[in-house]
Amino acid sequence: MKKNWSFVLLLLLIGCAADRDQSKYLRWVGDIEPDALTDDETFTICHGESRVKQYFNFSKGLQYEGEKPAIVEAFRTQYKSVEVEQSGWIRIRFIVNCKGQTGRFRLMAADLSYQEQQFDPTITTQLMAITNSLPGWKVLPDQQKAQDYYQYLIFKIENGSLKEIMP
Amino acid sequence: MRILFVLLFWLGMPSLGAQPNCEAFKYLGEDLKYKACKAAEKRAGHYQFSRKYQEALDEALGIDSTFAFAYRVKSTAYLKSGDFLTWKSLMDKAVQYEPAAQLDYRGWCRYQFFRDYQGAIDDIELLDSLIDYDIGHSVNGDYHLHIARALCYKALGQKDLAIAIIEEQLQDSTYFLGVYDYLHLGVLYLEKQQFDRAITALQQQAKQNDLAENRYYIALAYKAKGDLETYATQLEIAKEKYLSDRKMFDPYIEPMDKIYLTDIEQEIKQSKK
Repeated sequence: MKKNWSFVLLLLLIGCAADRDQSKYLRWVGDIEPDALTDDETFTICHGESRVKQYFNFSKGLQYEGEKPAIVEAFRTQYKSVEVEQSGWIRIRFIVNCKGQTGRFRLMAADLSYQEQQFDPTITTQLMAITNSLPGWKVLPDQQKAQDYYQYLIFKIENGSLKEIMP
Repeated sequence: MRILFVLLFWLGMPSLGAQPNCEAFKYLGEDLKYKACKAAEKRAGHYQFSRKYQEALDEALGIDSTFAFAYRVKSTAYLKSGDFLTWKSLMDKAVQYEPAAQLDYRGWCRYQFFRDYQGAIDDIELLDSLIDYDIGHSVNGDYHLHIARALCYKALGQKDLAIAIIEEQLQDSTYFLGVYDYLHLGVLYLEKQQFDRAITALQQQAKQNDLAENRYYIALAYKAKGDLETYATQLEIAKEKYLSDRKMFDPYIEPMDKIYLTDIEQEIKQSKK
């Protein structure tokens, strides 16, 4: 009898694995899987991959010490415009963990027609470094029930200059 | 009867992103769309970011690749995660198959999430040219699309045109006032140094929806007019409102003309010099 139950359990596990393998989707749209080659090995999430939320799930909007002006100021003082005829959007998405630490940074870029575009590395390297150094991401929703969450910054670039930051 | 049925079917649906009534497709003899619609219903109860939600829509599009609604609702998770590549590609399909019903969403989101001012203007104006009824509101209900269009023109430096669009919209006796309309109009007047008009518009905003923002900008208008006492008083009210969460808010992005605590506090310091 015990053998039969083990067999059923095995079939269920295989079924679940097969279901995941056949799908082109991860748990959620935009989930970032860890990459040992590029990610900071000291960065960890607190509650497991299946419980990472989105920043807007907390219905508080952008949550950063000093609010958006502090983010804008960091880029205004540190980003140096690059003289290139490249315009479009660059998104850097990452995880803020339950301690307010950040990791798993990923970059996406498009031209003004929303077509994928490789920006001059002088632009993307700067944006990535400044984003990586931002210290003020808030622990959400609060210290007691702190969660891991996905956050992004989108940079609107016009001819190598940083024009706007979203959200 | 058929026209009435189609009107009832679409009424309110596009802006809400709600599931269409599948039976309407059946009634209209659109069998493929009916089957696709039923497949899309399988996403019910699943989070829009989830695998099951996305797979239900893939199934729908596998049945009918022209089912615009499925592209639209599929795009939303990509939009909210900032994935402009996938979002735009999906919304282009939605617009291709159903321009009059999908341009409102694409246009609004181009402004809201990506500050793609010219793209938003192009979409909203194209929509306006395609239909002979009101172009409607943003998906979150905060803005009439003409007001959103005006804000895009403002961002592109065409402030007079922005003012003209908002004024025209506000003169429409059938218009349902947006939560930030007078605030944006007041800020535009302020930026054009028309201080009395700015004060009138911002006072109107206070009557409709009194926020830290309208108090802050009205303070600046009084400062420009040399009324430093009212300037200081309005700043204190702005701070009070800000701290009690009476301020502009959007869970996804930071709205245009939003002010922050640091803005108010810096101005309060100025007012005390």
